[in-house]
Amino acid sequence: MAVVLEVEGLKKKYGSLEALKGISFKVEKGEIFGLIGPNGAGKTTTLRIIATLLTPTDGRVSFLRFDLKKNPEKFREKISYLPEEAGAYRNMKGIDYLNFMAKFYAEDEAEIRQFVERAERICGLGERLKDKVGTYSKGMTRKLLLARALMTKPALAILDEPTSGLDVINSLEVREMIKAFTREGVSVLLSSHNMLEVEFLSDRVALIDRGVILDSGTPQGLKEKYQASNLEIVFRSAVQ
Amino acid sequence: MKNFSHLLIKEIKELVNKQLIISLVFIVLIFNFIGNITKSEMKKAMAKQKIAVLDLDKSEISRNIIGALNMANFIIEEKAGGKEEVVKEVRSSGLDLLVVIPVGFGQAVSGFQAGEVETYSYLNGISMTGSRKSEIVKALLGTTNEFLSNQYLKKKVPDVNPQLLKTPIKSREFVVVKDKMAEGSASAVIGSLYAQSFILPVILMMIIMYSSQMVITAIAMEKQNKTLETLLTVPISRTSIVMAKMLAAGFVGLLSAAIYMFGFRNAFSFNTGDIAKAMSGVAPILKQLGLTITTQGYALFGISLFLTILVALSLATVLGVLAEDYRTAQSLNVPLVFLVLIPYFISLFTDINTMSLPAKIFVLAIPFSHPFFAMQNIMFGHLNLVWIGIAYNFLFVAAMLYWTTKIFSTDRVLTMKLKWGKKKVVL
Repeated sequence: MAVVLEVEGLKKKYGSLEALKGISFKVEKGEIFGLIGPNGAGKTTTLRIIATLLTPTDGRVSFLRFDLKKNPEKFREKISYLPEEAGAYRNMKGIDYLNFMAKFYAEDEAEIRQFVERAERICGLGERLKDKVGTYSKGMTRKLLLARALMTKPALAILDEPTSGLDVINSLEVREMIKAFTREGVSVLLSSHNMLEVEFLSDRVALIDRGVILDSGTPQGLKEKYQASNLEIVFRSAVQ
Repeated sequence: MKNFSHLLIKEIKELVNKQLIISLVFIVLIFNFIGNITKSEMKKAMAKQKIAVLDLDKSEISRNIIGALNMANFIIEEKAGGKEEVVKEVRSSGLDLLVVIPVGFGQAVSGFQAGEVETYSYLNGISMTGSRKSEIVKALLGTTNEFLSNQYLKKKVPDVNPQLLKTPIKSREFVVVKDKMAEGSASAVIGSLYAQSFILPVILMMIIMYSSQMVITAIAMEKQNKTLETLLTVPISRTSIVMAKMLAAGFVGLLSAAIYMFGFRNAFSFNTGDIAKAMSGVAPILKQLGLTITTQGYALFGISLFLTILVALSLATVLGVLAEDYRTAQSLNVPLVFLVLIPYFISLFTDINTMSLPAKIFVLAIPFSHPFFAMQNIMFGHLNLVWIGIAYNFLFVAAMLYWTTKIFSTDRVLTMKLKWGKKKVVL
């Protein structure tokens, strides 16, 4: 399979704090790659670097053969990032927000319409898209943002804790949206501290703790390796 | 460019929201209300006023004074009785001015002795009408004094012009500006220049304060609503994001300041007609002295103002990055407001050229100071000072824009926080 994203020896320091201590992994075309680890493991830092929000202290990130340090703008054209604590412009209607975001990626009006129609299908908010975002519940906002992230068919969707703060029903719906999205051949890099969620979604996972990748592989392969029934036990064994 | 204009429109739409429109309409309405009250008070003050007069003298001179009061737009309510009794009566009658001409007034004046007229002002509050009445009576008595003294002098020294006796020294005033000279009063020239430029610092202050407030709020709201991270990952350059925010804030700030000034001028009638009227007498002197602004002068002032707005916007952008939410943004704007207020008050009440060198350096180090003094410097031909100010602000803007774009291109846009204590980092 073709490699979409390649991370090699990635390091990040915040002053004296070493958040990432040289992590490496690859994401292949059409797969969902999950980064799992506890809070403070370095998941968000990794995703923010790939999303061009943070600059790495050391290491190399290449995406579709473009180097992050040299061509961050190429990353922005082809990736889509959903931060953990994201919001939308509260005074805009849902549909206007989708239109606004689509215009950054579309070549013409027809493509804008195509992106927005796709987003409408993904989020399933129906008539509520005509209401202002400020009136949405947390679940509705998250679905709108996820639709925004996926509507442009990015080469790589980076999703940070996609179901963070959502109730069970909304979490399930969001997971199904992500699954459906990758059936169209698009790659996803996601992070979560909910290991069961990552196990359900991901084709391959990397276990990250204190800035280091402890192990990686398919969920099934890791479970067999550590003789565990789920990824939570795998993670505990890997840490020990 | 397509993405930039798209973002710029969004920024303007975000800033021109319901709250801003309501607050601007409210400001205009408030100014309109104040203006109407002021105008009606002025009207009252100019209209015929009722005053009480107690003429205990009943002489020809006292009747003449009452006649003159009548001519001076007063409705005279003549009182009769004892002085103390009338003073009490007027207090309860609602009138607020009583003129008492005592017995023997006419005789004293005719006998070349000082005749006394008593005026009683009844204060029930502070209003323009109350003070105006007593001022008119005072002026009237002054004219009467002048008339009577001229008559005495004519009687005593018939061959000499009374004016020459009273003012034996005549003065001629000349105003010199650089190599130009004109006959006229320096205070009239200064008064006229002040009247023309009085409104300018207020406009400047409003523009700078509104624009910086807008850009700080715009960035702080992106942070508060958690939209900044997403915006920073869309395919548009960071410079475009910064410029769109600054331009939108500058535009909305200018618009807000214009609306504010419209309300202000409406309320206090500082219209061009008033200024033109104030200037009409002094205009030839100003022209002779070269104290008029040419098109080039206005252009120079425009450049100075434009650069200062850019300074305010770039400074506010950095402050906006430091803000975590709308509330912090409000408090972060305070130092900027003070930096604008310093040159504002100095330009209103002092002459920067008479200040000590350290104080002058301090004031001129504030980039906002330059347009406040630019107009004056242009008028007095100190163009080198204006150019130095422009160069200083240009360098300041260039450095600030470079720094701001740098901040937006690195981690700092997300990690810079005005926080005391340990820095919090999200891993």
